[in-house]
Amino acid sequence: MAREKYIKMLLMACASLSFLAILLIFLFIFQESLPAITRIGIPNLFSAAWNPDKGQYGMLAFLIGTLLSTLGGLLIGAPLGIGTAVFLDQVAPSRMANVIRRGVELLAGIPSVVIGWFGLIILVPFIARITGSAGYGIAAASVVLAVMVLPTITALGAETLRSLPPELKEASVAMGATRWQTIRKVLLPAGKEGILVAVVLGMGRAIGETMAVQMVVGNSSQLTLNPFQPTGTLTSNLVTNMGEAVGNFRAALFAQALVLLILSMILIVSIRFITRKKEA
Amino acid sequence: MDARKADRIATAVFWAIGIIALGILAFIVIEIFARGLITAVKPSFFAGKPQALKEGGGVGPMVVSTIYLVVLTMLISFPISVGAAIYLAEFAREGRFTRFIRFCLDSLGTVPSIVFAIFGMTLFLFYLNWRTCLLAGAITMALLNLPVFLRSAEEALRQVPLTYREASMSLGADRWTTVKKIVLPTAMPGIITGTILPLGRIMGESAVVIFTVGVFVRAIPLSPFDPAAPLAGYIWYVQSEAVVPDYRTIVNGGAAILLILLFLINFGTRRLSAYYSKKKSLGG
Repeated sequence: MAREKYIKMLLMACASLSFLAILLIFLFIFQESLPAITRIGIPNLFSAAWNPDKGQYGMLAFLIGTLLSTLGGLLIGAPLGIGTAVFLDQVAPSRMANVIRRGVELLAGIPSVVIGWFGLIILVPFIARITGSAGYGIAAASVVLAVMVLPTITALGAETLRSLPPELKEASVAMGATRWQTIRKVLLPAGKEGILVAVVLGMGRAIGETMAVQMVVGNSSQLTLNPFQPTGTLTSNLVTNMGEAVGNFRAALFAQALVLLILSMILIVSIRFITRKKEA
Repeated sequence: MDARKADRIATAVFWAIGIIALGILAFIVIEIFARGLITAVKPSFFAGKPQALKEGGGVGPMVVSTIYLVVLTMLISFPISVGAAIYLAEFAREGRFTRFIRFCLDSLGTVPSIVFAIFGMTLFLFYLNWRTCLLAGAITMALLNLPVFLRSAEEALRQVPLTYREASMSLGADRWTTVKKIVLPTAMPGIITGTILPLGRIMGESAVVIFTVGVFVRAIPLSPFDPAAPLAGYIWYVQSEAVVPDYRTIVNGGAAILLILLFLINFGTRRLSAYYSKKKSLGG
């Protein structure tokens, strides 16, 4: 029927919008960062020297800031998230599990500016007091990110555990294994891929998180491995400077957005790799 | 160590982890309300005019901006996301094309919101020469929400039993009529619960808002082409500029309003979803 054909085409167009969107995002960001690649050059863009007033646009400090804060956030957030997922799927009584499930959903909805604000007025002064530093930096950013990746990892982790065949657990318990032995030797290994995907998606959230990190990381451009020193991340640098930047400065910022985009694509490809290996 | 002892220790550790996770949430919620609830419920605050330099400003236009942006984004996002979900769940045959679409959706889902923000700014402000406005933000946000919204809608559609479709088509209905009259109404409660996450994200998103919608307005925005200042972006702006002397009060009050809106979204969508399931079971 002709009508059905048109409707099918219209619906297909809706689905194809995802392709159009990702294509346009890539094209625009790439085109706007092209001047930076040709005029500043890729080696300079990845150098440690960042001083826009003098025409130096190296993003190394921000790249390291992004990687360190993501790593820190996952070191705290991943065990907590996986643990919570196991707790609500295996250990908690059903009413408690429901409370946690609702709670985690709610936590996912709390705006990142609000979490950043509490980082700023509670966490930063706390870190400042115990370390004698200014309180801003990777340590503060990591804690904030841990809170933000927790809902992602918990929700996806619990979903993985729930979708495991019940026979696995039954067989293990029937053999006389305790709950902990079942979790450690049977359930976690069986759900390995799904849990890994949950952590990688949490990582994506951490790399891209902007506002909360910008509020606690200190927004300096110094390259540092000290978690208690103010530094910056790719996202925080973008949001701080994009408004005013022109010319080469703006192009260099677009190049940083391109790096963020490439980092998130690497994550997606690695997730494909993880899930494909399981199917094979 | 014997297995029973290890099991008891592990159980205690998992309880501790669960309580920590819940504790983090409780801490944040309690802190937000303790610091901001009194400010948030004052009419001079939630409906008041903002101040650029003096203290005592309200966030009336910002609250309106947030609600306006949420509604506008959903008007764009709902038909597109549900339409795409219908295509994937009901019309498309699994193959190279659908695999490709899913790859694009996954990719879109991991693009950081700041990149969406910069993309929206480039497209609307630089290429189309718009000024910052609600519509620019709403379109950007609709793209940002597409993967999440689509996935939950598709899941809701797939939960409709196959026999419903078979029964409808055996009576001579074509595919689209079946979708419209049988599948969509049955999946509606699930689709509506699936809006909780996107609604919360639109309400709380600040990066996109800062670059495409605006961070400060005095007047209540009327047209979709008006600049606006949704609350989440305004909160960030106020604390980052720190010009008004009472900016802490404004941020605390604003955070409390956002949390109240989040509760309303959760409560409202669940009620609406329950209403639809009841209506369906009555045959309406």
